[in-house]
Amino acid sequence: MIRLNRRKKRPMIPMSSMSDIGFLLLIFIMLISLINQRHEVHIEYSEAKMIEKTQETKNLEIWIEQDGTLTVDGKKTDEATLEQIIAQTLAADPKTRVHIIADRNTPYREVNSVVTILQRLQHRVVSFVVKEEL
Amino acid sequence: MIHLKRGRELDDPGNSGSLNDLSFLLIIFFIVTAGFNIDKGFLLNLPDNAKPRVVQREELVKCSLDPIGNIALDGKAVTLAEAESILKEKRSSHPNMTFLLVIDPETPYQKVVDIIYEIRKLDIENFSFRMSGGNT
Repeated sequence: MIRLNRRKKRPMIPMSSMSDIGFLLLIFIMLISLINQRHEVHIEYSEAKMIEKTQETKNLEIWIEQDGTLTVDGKKTDEATLEQIIAQTLAADPKTRVHIIADRNTPYREVNSVVTILQRLQHRVVSFVVKEEL
Repeated sequence: MIHLKRGRELDDPGNSGSLNDLSFLLIIFFIVTAGFNIDKGFLLNLPDNAKPRVVQREELVKCSLDPIGNIALDGKAVTLAEAESILKEKRSSHPNMTFLLVIDPETPYQKVVDIIYEIRKLDIENFSFRMSGGNT
């Protein structure tokens, strides 16, 4: 009788493919975050405790600095150009949400100038973006 | 004869365990930083200048906000806490109360946000705001 000594193999989970999956996911998320890149302007955010999510599928962010400088999509603009940008954006998609992101020390007249433009364009909804107070 | 002890063979010759950890840590980092881009704040309805709404005088509360952040309800200077209790009382007697905020052009934006926060906290539905001298 021939006795065959079979080597017992320890059970193992192959982990080498895990890093491939990880890096593929990483590339995917990096690309998505690049597409959704936000042109931030250095401002001191206003703060409030009870805030709601105002983000929509399509958004137009208008940044107002303390000295009244207006920025849209990372480009500095003036009131007349801003009106054109808003009009074009809303004409392309009327459901675009307009966000006003102003510095906490900005005089209200600067914010009001943007609100007046929106009213002139018969746009009824505006989001005042603030940071959640901790 | 020299007996060389052979070490146990590795289960996974290309051990990449730490690479997994690194990639997943990076994924978490990107997910978290991407999450910060969500806009949060207050959603406001802008009034129609062409069609002004008629409000009964007793249902209207006019609040003035000066550049320092002092508030006056119907011409009477009050603190934020006092204003809160006055508005609560007014709302219980007049459920359709309209709150009109008149803001000085020089008022810092944060002071305006503070008042909007109070209005939202008190759940006042009819809220309008304008700049003094303007017509928002």
